[in-house]
Amino acid sequence: MADLNPLSLWRRFLATPNDSRVKTLVVAFLVSAVCAIAVTGATVWLRPIQAQNRAVEQQAKLEALISAVPGMSELIEDAGGEALTTVVIDLDDGAASPSVTPETLEAALADPSNWTTLAAGDDIAGIGNRPNYAQIYLLRNGDKVSLAILPVAGTGYGGRIQALLALRGDMRTLAGIAITEQSETPGLGARISEPLWQRSFAGKQLSDDTGAQRFAVARGPGRTEYEVDGITGATRTSNAITQMIRFWTGPNGYGPLMAAIRRGDF
Amino acid sequence: MGDLGALFLRAMFAENMPLTYFLGLCTFLALSRRTDTAFGLGVAVIVVMGVTVPLNQLIYSAVLAPGAWDWAGMPDVDLSYLSLLTFIGVVAASVQLLEMVLERFLPGVQAAFGAFLPLLAIHCAILGGSLFMVERRYDLSEAAVYGLGSGAGFALAVVMLGAIRTRLAHADLPAGLRGLGIAFLLAGMMSLGFSSFAQMAAQ
Amino acid sequence: MSGAGNLWAILTTPIIRQNPVTLQILGICSALAVTTSLDTALTLAISLTLVVVVSAGIVSVIRRHIPNAIRLIVQIIIVASLVIVVDQVLQAYFFELSQRLSVFVSLIATNCIVLGRTESFARSNPPVPAMVDALGSGLGYGLVLVLVGACRELFGTGRLLGWQVLPLADQGGWFTPLSLMLLAPSAFFLLGGLVWMVRSIWSEQAEAPDFPPHATGEDR
Repeated sequence: MADLNPLSLWRRFLATPNDSRVKTLVVAFLVSAVCAIAVTGATVWLRPIQAQNRAVEQQAKLEALISAVPGMSELIEDAGGEALTTVVIDLDDGAASPSVTPETLEAALADPSNWTTLAAGDDIAGIGNRPNYAQIYLLRNGDKVSLAILPVAGTGYGGRIQALLALRGDMRTLAGIAITEQSETPGLGARISEPLWQRSFAGKQLSDDTGAQRFAVARGPGRTEYEVDGITGATRTSNAITQMIRFWTGPNGYGPLMAAIRRGDF
Repeated sequence: MGDLGALFLRAMFAENMPLTYFLGLCTFLALSRRTDTAFGLGVAVIVVMGVTVPLNQLIYSAVLAPGAWDWAGMPDVDLSYLSLLTFIGVVAASVQLLEMVLERFLPGVQAAFGAFLPLLAIHCAILGGSLFMVERRYDLSEAAVYGLGSGAGFALAVVMLGAIRTRLAHADLPAGLRGLGIAFLLAGMMSLGFSSFAQMAAQ
Repeated sequence: MSGAGNLWAILTTPIIRQNPVTLQILGICSALAVTTSLDTALTLAISLTLVVVVSAGIVSVIRRHIPNAIRLIVQIIIVASLVIVVDQVLQAYFFELSQRLSVFVSLIATNCIVLGRTESFARSNPPVPAMVDALGSGLGYGLVLVLVGACRELFGTGRLLGWQVLPLADQGGWFTPLSLMLLAPSAFFLLGGLVWMVRSIWSEQAEAPDFPPHATGEDR
C-alpha cells in the first residue's frame, strides 16, 4: 500500500484546521516554493529571447543612424566597404575595456558600482550618473578611424533623451545624430526626431582651434559652423541637446576616448 | 550636499508621485475628503517611504543586483527579477513593524495615524518609489532623500486636495460631479500647476 | 435563476454598474499614466485582466486551505509572482511596448482591483464564478482605460493605434493636435468627465451631498 500513504498523508494534511501552526507553515512554504519556481522558470526560459530583443533593437537603431548620416554610403565605400566594428570602451580610460564585452555589457551596467555619480557642476546634461562602459561603433579606413558612433543621453523638457552621435575621424566634425528615445512635446521639442533637422548636424564643428567647446543649438537659425538651427518654441529641448552633446564630448564623457582616437592610439 | 537638496525638491515638486506619475491615487482620492484624514495619510506615507526606500536600496545592492554575490565567488548571479516580490515583502513587513513600535512606544501617535498604516502595505506610490530608485540607480543617501522627498510631495498634494474638497463640500455641485468627479477635475488642475515645477527643474 | 444567467450577471455588473474605476475608486493609478496611447492602454488592460483572472482562479482553488494569519500575504505572493511572469513574457515578445510601460506592469501587483477581487470574492466562491467576476472587473477597468486612451491618442496626435485617422494640419490636413491631451492633467480631466457622464446617466451611482444646500425660497 505504498502509493496510498503519500496520498492519505496529503488528505489528512488538507483536513487539518486552517489555523493550526503546522498547516500555516506548510501552506506558506508550499505557496512560496511554487511561486518561486514559476517565476524563476519563466525568467530563465525567457532571458535569452529578451537579450536577443535588445540586440535586435540596438541593431535597428544603428541601421537607422547609418541611413540618416548623409554621405554614409560614400564613407563606407571609402573605407573599402568594411562594415562597422563595435567595441565596449571604458569611458574613464578612453580605451577598449578588457573585461566587458557587448554581450556582458547589460549585466555590467545593471551593477550600480559601474556607474559614476556626477557632481552638480559636472552634470550639465542633467543625467545624475553616467555609466563607466559604453558600446561604440567605429568605421575604419585602414589604420585610422574615419567615423565613430557614440551613444549619448541627456534630460529634456519631458524626460530622458537618448541618441547616437556620429563624429568624423578628426573628432571635431559632426557627421550626424539619430535620436533613439525622447518624450518631448509633440510638434515642438519632439521635432528633434525629424530627419531634416538631424541632417543639419552634418559638418558642424564641436570645438574651435583652442579646443574650447563651441557647439550649440542656436535660438533661431544657426549662424556659424558651430551652430545648428534651433527649433521654434522648443528652447528647453534645444538647450538640452546642446548640453547633452557638450557633456558627452567633454572630459566627463567621451573626452578621453576622443583624445585617444585623435592621437591614433585606437 | 547641494545635489541631495536638489533631489529632495525635485522628488517633492517636479516628480510629485500622485500628480505627475499618477501613483497612490486610490488613497489620494479616497482619503482627501477632509484635511485631518489627509494629513494623517500624508504623515504615514512620509514615514513609510522614508524607511522603505533606503532599506530596499540596501537589500537590492547587497542581495539582488547583478554582481551582488561577487564577494561569495558568484559574480554571475542576478536575482533582480525577484525585486518586486522582495520590495512588497519589505514594505509589508516595515508597515507591520512600525505598527508594533507605535503601539508599544508612542500610543498617542498610534491613535492618530495608526489606522492608515495597513493601507500602505501595498500602496502604489510606496512601491513605485522603490522601483524608481532601482531604475535610477540611487545610492543609500540618495535613496533616503528620494524616499523622504516623494513622501513629502505626496503629503503636500493630499493635504492641498483635502483643503479644497473641505470647502467644496458646501458647494452646490451637479449630482454627477459630487465626490469623485470633482476630485478628478481638481487633481487635474493641481497636476497642471505642478507641471510648472517640472519646467523649472529642467533648468 | 439559471447558473448561466447568474454568471452573466456576475460578468456584466462590474462593467458599468459597479465599475471598479468610476464607482469603487480602485485601480486608478496605472489607469492614467499608460493612457497616452491606445496600444499601451490595451496592453495594460489585457495584462491586468489576465493577472486578476488567473489569480482569482488560483486563490479560489486553494480557498479552503488558506490560514487566516497569512491570508493577505499568500494572495500578495500569488499576484506578484503572476505579475513578474507576465512582465517577463512582455519583455520577451513585446519588447518595445514593455519599454514604454516600464514600471507600470510591475505596479499591477499593487493594483487594488486585483487584491480587491481575490479578497472579497475569490476567497469565498468556487473557481468558475470567481474567474468570471475577475474577468468582469478586468473588462470594466479595460473599458475605462480604452476610452481614455483612445481619446488622448486621437485628440492628442490624430492617430489611433498608430493609424493616422485625422489628417494633421502641418501635413496638409485640417486637424491641429491638442497637445494638452498628451500631458498628465488631461487624463484627470477625461476621467472626471467620464465619471460625471456615467453618474448622470446611472444616477444611482451619484454621491449624496455632505451638506444639503439650504432652501433659498427659489424654485429649483
